[in-house]
Amino acid sequence: MFYFTMFFQYIGQYMKTRLEYRADLVVEIVSDLLSQAINLIFILVVFGHTDFLNGWTREEIIFIYGFFLVPYALFTSFFNIWDFNERYIVKGELDRILTRPVHSLFQVILERMELESLFGAVTGLAVMFYSGSRLGLEVNWYDPLLFALFVLGGVLVYAGIFIMIACISFWADARTSIMPMMYNIGNYGRYPVDIYNKVIRFVLTWVLPFAFVGVYPAAFFLGRKEWYFYSFLTPLIGLVFFGVSVMLWNKGVKKYSGAGN
Amino acid sequence: MNAIEVRDLRKEFKAYSSRSGLKGAFRDLLTRNYKIVPAVNDISFAVKQGEMVGYIGENGAGKSTTIKMLTGILTPTSGSITVNGMNPHKEREKFVQTIGVVFGQRSQLWWDIAVQESFRLLKKVYKVSDAHYNEHMDHVIKTLDIEPLLDKPVRKLSLGQRMRCELAAALIHNPPLLFLDEPTIGLDVLVKLKIRDFLKEINEKYNTTILLTTHDLTDIEALCERVVMLDEGKVIYDGSLKSMKENWAEGKEIQFEFLESAELTQLERLTAGMQVKWEIDEKSRIFSALTGDDDELVSQVIAKTVASHKVKDVKINEPSTEEIIRNIYERGMV
Repeated sequence: MFYFTMFFQYIGQYMKTRLEYRADLVVEIVSDLLSQAINLIFILVVFGHTDFLNGWTREEIIFIYGFFLVPYALFTSFFNIWDFNERYIVKGELDRILTRPVHSLFQVILERMELESLFGAVTGLAVMFYSGSRLGLEVNWYDPLLFALFVLGGVLVYAGIFIMIACISFWADARTSIMPMMYNIGNYGRYPVDIYNKVIRFVLTWVLPFAFVGVYPAAFFLGRKEWYFYSFLTPLIGLVFFGVSVMLWNKGVKKYSGAGN
Repeated sequence: MNAIEVRDLRKEFKAYSSRSGLKGAFRDLLTRNYKIVPAVNDISFAVKQGEMVGYIGENGAGKSTTIKMLTGILTPTSGSITVNGMNPHKEREKFVQTIGVVFGQRSQLWWDIAVQESFRLLKKVYKVSDAHYNEHMDHVIKTLDIEPLLDKPVRKLSLGQRMRCELAAALIHNPPLLFLDEPTIGLDVLVKLKIRDFLKEINEKYNTTILLTTHDLTDIEALCERVVMLDEGKVIYDGSLKSMKENWAEGKEIQFEFLESAELTQLERLTAGMQVKWEIDEKSRIFSALTGDDDELVSQVIAKTVASHKVKDVKINEPSTEEIIRNIYERGMV
């Protein structure tokens, strides 16, 4: 309950900060909307030339992409920890975090949120409805619930992986280039995994389970029965990865050796 | 009751050393040389509730490391810490509720939002009730004179203004124990005085324990009765500031400025047979005589000198705390 109140307190504070810079806010919203529109056009153009891909129709691929955008948008809004090493370890900001009676990871997440990224979810939903209507998909009463569950699972998968990478900083304080690489690998999850070879597919399912952010859960809504098992595994994989990452974080904080003044 | 109890506290860091040359760099890839350096080396001390203690030492003596362990930021390598009856790094979230921390070189406040918004958020973080907040903070805000700053964003404040706000922010939950790491660094005299008065006041009013590290020894003189001195990770002095001065003061210094030019040898001949050492500052032509603690000797030296030379100015200096501490460091252990 306390964490719930804190969450909204921070969001309120975030809004105020944003409203301080009114001009900035307008520019940012406009540029966000613009980049989402470009994204949308880009998807349609790129996939406009492919009709079938290993048994997937063009509309299905677009649908998967649209689904992917929703958890991805939530992830980028709330888990901006790609610069954790620099900001919190090297500059020693973690010292400040650790002198407050709230869980350290929770504080870092709240301090770094960027709610503008949520616009991406709108684009994602638009893409899904566009391709879904062309595919003639129907919306059942349980679909929104499962959608929420799968999206949450996808966010947790992403968050788990990136928190684990951020945790490396607790042990080795040199900067690594793993973060940008991981963003690239994350993009593979938005295409049907059976177009890749077996090894990559295995990696995207069990090691860096980015497939659970895009293709697996989306397959459920496309009515692809052969993938249902993986679809329903999404929340579980999310919980496992996120749980492990939090444990790793707690261990890392104990190892934290601080920065000098 | 002791607010802080530290026994055999130790913190080691691995210090990597790189080999020289390209060949060395390749060897570093495989096996890196490192030494284990104790930043804090088996120290023990205790601080009673309501005490104001100055924690001093040179750069790198281990002050900040100790403070970080006492506040639960760092985990000690060995030894035991009990602060406010808790183990800081074990029950961190519960523990930090009972302490206030100010790092002079780091801000606790949010950069972009108004000071009062930061306060409001911290009030929620520390779960302080409205009644408590109003009663306590009204007073703090008034004493620190930050009322007109409350609606300004932190980034627009000057260092002195920010520091006063930081101090207020650290006290929102009225903690019984306050850690101040270089709270007056870079501040002007007026702000310093204000902060000192304020610290004295809350110490009296709430019996708040204060542990203070600083390079500015006038802070310590103004606030602390007790000092703990650190050198190379070890406690080399723990006791009252007064007795440190008494034990380590090395006589007095009499400074003369003469109307006419004088010679060092002349002066030395004058006071021959006495325990006096003469020195001269070539640039300003100030002669100083270093004497022991014997007060009689001081007056004899002055009498003899004044009798034979026309004097423009005479000053008797007692060694400052700073000089005493420099002395202790130069000569090592107490």
